[in-house]
Amino acid sequence: MRKRVLSIALASIMVAAAFTGCGNPEVANDTAVSEAPAADNTGDSGGTDGAAAADAVQNLISSTTGPVDLTLWASEEDQDFTQGVIEDFKALYPDVTFNITLGAESESTAKDKVLTDVEAAADVYTFAHDQINDLVNAGALQEVQATYTFDVKNANVQTSIDAATVGGKLYAYPMTADNGYFMFYNSEVIKDPSNLEAMIADAKAAGKKIAIEFKNGWYLYGFFKAVGLDATLNDDGKTNSCDWNGEGGIDVCQAILDAVASGVVVNMDDGTTVTGIKDGTVCAAINGIWNAQVASDAWGANYEAAKLPTMKIGGKDCQLSSYSGFKLIGVNPHAKNIGWAMLLAEYLTSEEVQTARFEARNLGPSNINAASSEAVKSDKAISALAAQAPFSTPQVIGGNFWSPAETLGQILASGNPDKTDLQQLLDTAVEGITAPVND
Amino acid sequence: MKIKRAIISSLLHILLAFITFLWIIPIIWLVVTAFSGYRGIDISHFFPETWSTKNFGTILFKPDSVVQYVTWFKNTFIIAVFTCIISTVFIFMVGYAFCCLRFPGRKQLMVFSVVLNMFPGVLSMIAVYFVLKSLGLTNSHIGMIIVYSAGSGLGFLIVKGFMDTIPVSLRESARLEGANELQIMLKIILPICKPIIVYQVISSFLVPWGDFVLAKLMLNSGLSKDWTIAIGLYNMLDKSLINKYFSIFCAGGLLVSIPISVLFILMQKFYIEGVSGGAIKG
Amino acid sequence: MAKYRTYPYDRKKYQSNQKPVRSKRVPKVNPIVKYFKDLGTCLSEGSTCVKLSTVFMGLGHIYNYQFVKGILVFLVQALFIVYLIFAAAPNLAKFSTLGTVKREAIFDPLTMQNTVNEYDNSFMILLSSVCALFIIFMFFLFWVSNIKSMYRTQLLLEARKHVNTFGEDFKELLGEKFHVTLLSLPILGVILMNIIPILILITIAFTNYDQNHLPPSELFTWVGVRNFVKLFTQTTTSSFGYAFRRILEWTFLWAFFATVSNFLLGHLIALLINSKLIKLKRFWRTLFIVTIAVPQFVTLLLVRNFLADSGIVNSICSNMGITAFLQNIGLVSKNITYIPFLTSPGWAKVTIVIINIWVGIPYQILISTGILLNIPRDQIEAAMIDRASPYEIFKNVTMPYVMFVEGPTLVTDFVRNINNFNIIYLLTQDVYVTTDQALANSHGKEVDLLVTWLFRLTNEYYDYKMASVIGVIVFSICSVFTILSFSRIVAGEREEVFM
Repeated sequence: MRKRVLSIALASIMVAAAFTGCGNPEVANDTAVSEAPAADNTGDSGGTDGAAAADAVQNLISSTTGPVDLTLWASEEDQDFTQGVIEDFKALYPDVTFNITLGAESESTAKDKVLTDVEAAADVYTFAHDQINDLVNAGALQEVQATYTFDVKNANVQTSIDAATVGGKLYAYPMTADNGYFMFYNSEVIKDPSNLEAMIADAKAAGKKIAIEFKNGWYLYGFFKAVGLDATLNDDGKTNSCDWNGEGGIDVCQAILDAVASGVVVNMDDGTTVTGIKDGTVCAAINGIWNAQVASDAWGANYEAAKLPTMKIGGKDCQLSSYSGFKLIGVNPHAKNIGWAMLLAEYLTSEEVQTARFEARNLGPSNINAASSEAVKSDKAISALAAQAPFSTPQVIGGNFWSPAETLGQILASGNPDKTDLQQLLDTAVEGITAPVND
Repeated sequence: MKIKRAIISSLLHILLAFITFLWIIPIIWLVVTAFSGYRGIDISHFFPETWSTKNFGTILFKPDSVVQYVTWFKNTFIIAVFTCIISTVFIFMVGYAFCCLRFPGRKQLMVFSVVLNMFPGVLSMIAVYFVLKSLGLTNSHIGMIIVYSAGSGLGFLIVKGFMDTIPVSLRESARLEGANELQIMLKIILPICKPIIVYQVISSFLVPWGDFVLAKLMLNSGLSKDWTIAIGLYNMLDKSLINKYFSIFCAGGLLVSIPISVLFILMQKFYIEGVSGGAIKG
Repeated sequence: MAKYRTYPYDRKKYQSNQKPVRSKRVPKVNPIVKYFKDLGTCLSEGSTCVKLSTVFMGLGHIYNYQFVKGILVFLVQALFIVYLIFAAAPNLAKFSTLGTVKREAIFDPLTMQNTVNEYDNSFMILLSSVCALFIIFMFFLFWVSNIKSMYRTQLLLEARKHVNTFGEDFKELLGEKFHVTLLSLPILGVILMNIIPILILITIAFTNYDQNHLPPSELFTWVGVRNFVKLFTQTTTSSFGYAFRRILEWTFLWAFFATVSNFLLGHLIALLINSKLIKLKRFWRTLFIVTIAVPQFVTLLLVRNFLADSGIVNSICSNMGITAFLQNIGLVSKNITYIPFLTSPGWAKVTIVIINIWVGIPYQILISTGILLNIPRDQIEAAMIDRASPYEIFKNVTMPYVMFVEGPTLVTDFVRNINNFNIIYLLTQDVYVTTDQALANSHGKEVDLLVTWLFRLTNEYYDYKMASVIGVIVFSICSVFTILSFSRIVAGEREEVFM
């Protein structure tokens, strides 16, 4: 009973604080309202009792005497938005002085910086979920044992929680659910986006190209998965198992070789794809949301997004598969103010910030409520991702996957110049992907 | 005879012009892209369709989280000035010691230094990082100055080669007149070594402007205001940024080269004397 | 005027033997053997003061009334002992295992704090131990030199000769011992930034420091020569042996072509510019120097985009029909619509060598212009009087002179090219994808040098152990080449020629 009272008291303090202590009443109002019930609802599965959670926050506030130094890494494009969110976060706790330093580090390369020296990395950082295994192995993520302002596990879509979980333990806070890939195309050129063969015909007629980055294991995976061949991480969290050299593997290779030989499907990396879209040579691309904006700007009303097409593999039409991807926020276990770091990470992934992030940057929320809003649902790219979702799997793969897959893709994309036997190509690639990680 | 000479001469001129053209063409591309009105890479036109100076405006007056050019320039300049002073002094001292003084173990020390100098810093940079970290000097400009200048004494060979050409008699006569070694070094050898010192000053001044590997490792806070020019420009070509920042990268590259070219053109005479004088013996 | 302790004066002993220490020197003795022999002599023949110094350094000086020196030396010893006990010993104790206690943190959800145990950080243990061993070694040298200097003082005193006061010793730093003054700071810097890191690199090569053993959360430990064996052998699960051989071959091939092409073309262009038939020499030279003025990494990144598969050069080539022409003569595969300047193995290797020429020649022009200006005029004039053709002058006068002056630097350039990180890394990183699957399985590429391979292993795969093994190998290769070329110059009388 005492705890319940405390929690309500805390909630009202926070409301009051938010009203009085902030220069931006509108935002403060929003946050306070959603914050107060969240503190009460945490209860059932968050690990700590809701009231205890509020207690803990209250304890933290009262035990914090000096200014709290926190460092946060977010991607270059997110800087302005995140800076605004930090100000809102500070306003939530008016009794505490924060020194929050915001650094720029791309989500896709966060691992490189963090693993070089965990102790020097930021207290809170964003990263793409495929790095989570390496980060956990290196002890660079604080386990999320308790949540304080809302229930992370139930508020986000289950796949995003799976992606943030390693060995049954939650290690990060889901931030977006849009880091997978789909297809966008210029509807002026491509009339039938449902199968690759029709697309090739349309593009050929218009003299345009279709961009697919074969030389990247991330995209290549979808072609093999389309015929049921898989590559996943083993239970040891380090080595992979892969059956690409199984039945149907050769057909996949042949299909890619045929597509490339048409001269229409071109192996293009991100940068080239964007340039191609801008100068009009590319009319369709299998790519992610980060480049969708460019296409939307270039093609205007003709910009459309869809799930991946089907492809004729071994005489059958197979739906291309894909990796789904999430951006997560992690807390560095070496952070000095671990409690505040966790609260900041929670706030950065809370429903209202996810909604605001979608409005500001068009990034698809992982929060169930935020994702169900009309605005999100009507976004072309995000609905294409949703359409692709049944054919996608969260990416869980060990580090040995990338180099061999990249090379296999490159060989196929350049038309197998040495005319190596396809089965042998696949066998060597699988050998590299499944190579033991010795210790 | 004269006509034949003229023909050969003009043929040679054409050849030279052609070679020079090959050498200059990427630089021209750098310049025209820097002045283009298009922000990414224009792959279909060599000369931009629209001209503008707004890239320079952006890097000089409108810093954002990606472009902090003026701050970077200041950081790099400070690091470069201190690096250049310390390196030049170190190299001169070591060169003088090995050239003009005789002490036990001198030859072994020289061979050892030359071997060490051949060892690229990239190989052991992780160890360098942790050495500096245990001294609390990562993410600081003092740390960068130490990284660039502490081991510079190893590059003494060119200076020594130059000093070897100075007649011994100069030093002997000074010694007979009662000058001590310090005086001989500063009053007699130093003035003669002006060309090679200018060469050293330029070379060591340029190091921080061109290094991004070590700088990127040492300045790892993720705060772009701490960076040097090299990291900043390198970062603009990151996959997610290149399409927005390529022409700004070119403008930045062009601006860096202005002070360097001025330095070079002013010092060309000394540079040639220094580098060739040193090479004779080095 | 300082006082000195008086020793019994044995005239007989010293009259016949003016330089007692020197006379013991036997020519052609291994310097290390001699070093310890001398130490033995000092200890056996030294008096009380020498023997006192072996335990309490400085006591010997004080015994000889050299108080300032004595206190200074004693302070050094005291500092060393304090360092040894408080900083070095705890780490050295764990040096054999590199730590046994893994980091464990317990999170308290109520206080929101982590409780962390007293854990071992293998890397810091390694780093501190290497430093400690190095300092102990330096202290040992200091200890020996102190004993030897005590013995020398004793001999001087016995011979009734002048012994330097502290002030005089200090003054010597500008005279006899000027090299100490000049070299101390630079050597300190080199120890900090070069020697200690190299020692750490060498020790890591014998550990299992990699992505699965990253401190501070994991420990790593000694594994003997396993990593070296892995680098040299090829098994079904590890292609390191194959990758190493391929990359080593290309490294040497590259270093050879890069050095020779720069040298030859640089001199040819310099000769052309300096030819009598060319006007506006300064103008042409300045045009070349402009390419130096733009920092190298800017030009290299620029060229990488310039020659990209869908870059400006490829657009122009395909518009002009060059791409189609190359496809017809078989230099470009028919499956691709661009010239793979930096993306197919053959093309990339040639392009890289050419770009290296582009980058290097302006420097070469500067150097050879200087050298050509220094060619003895009289020889050329004599040749001209003999009506020698320009080609003969070039062959018989210019070339021999250039080779004499520049020959030795070719070896230096060769070694430098073995380690030419920037060109390869900046031109191929993120662009070149290997098509050799065995190389890919070891994270190598056809165009990699040993250094860039090493860099990728550290930077992207955190395989520090293999990277260190490669580092040790690169270091050995470079040392062999450098010693071969320089011991001749340094040890020979060549450096005295101009004196």
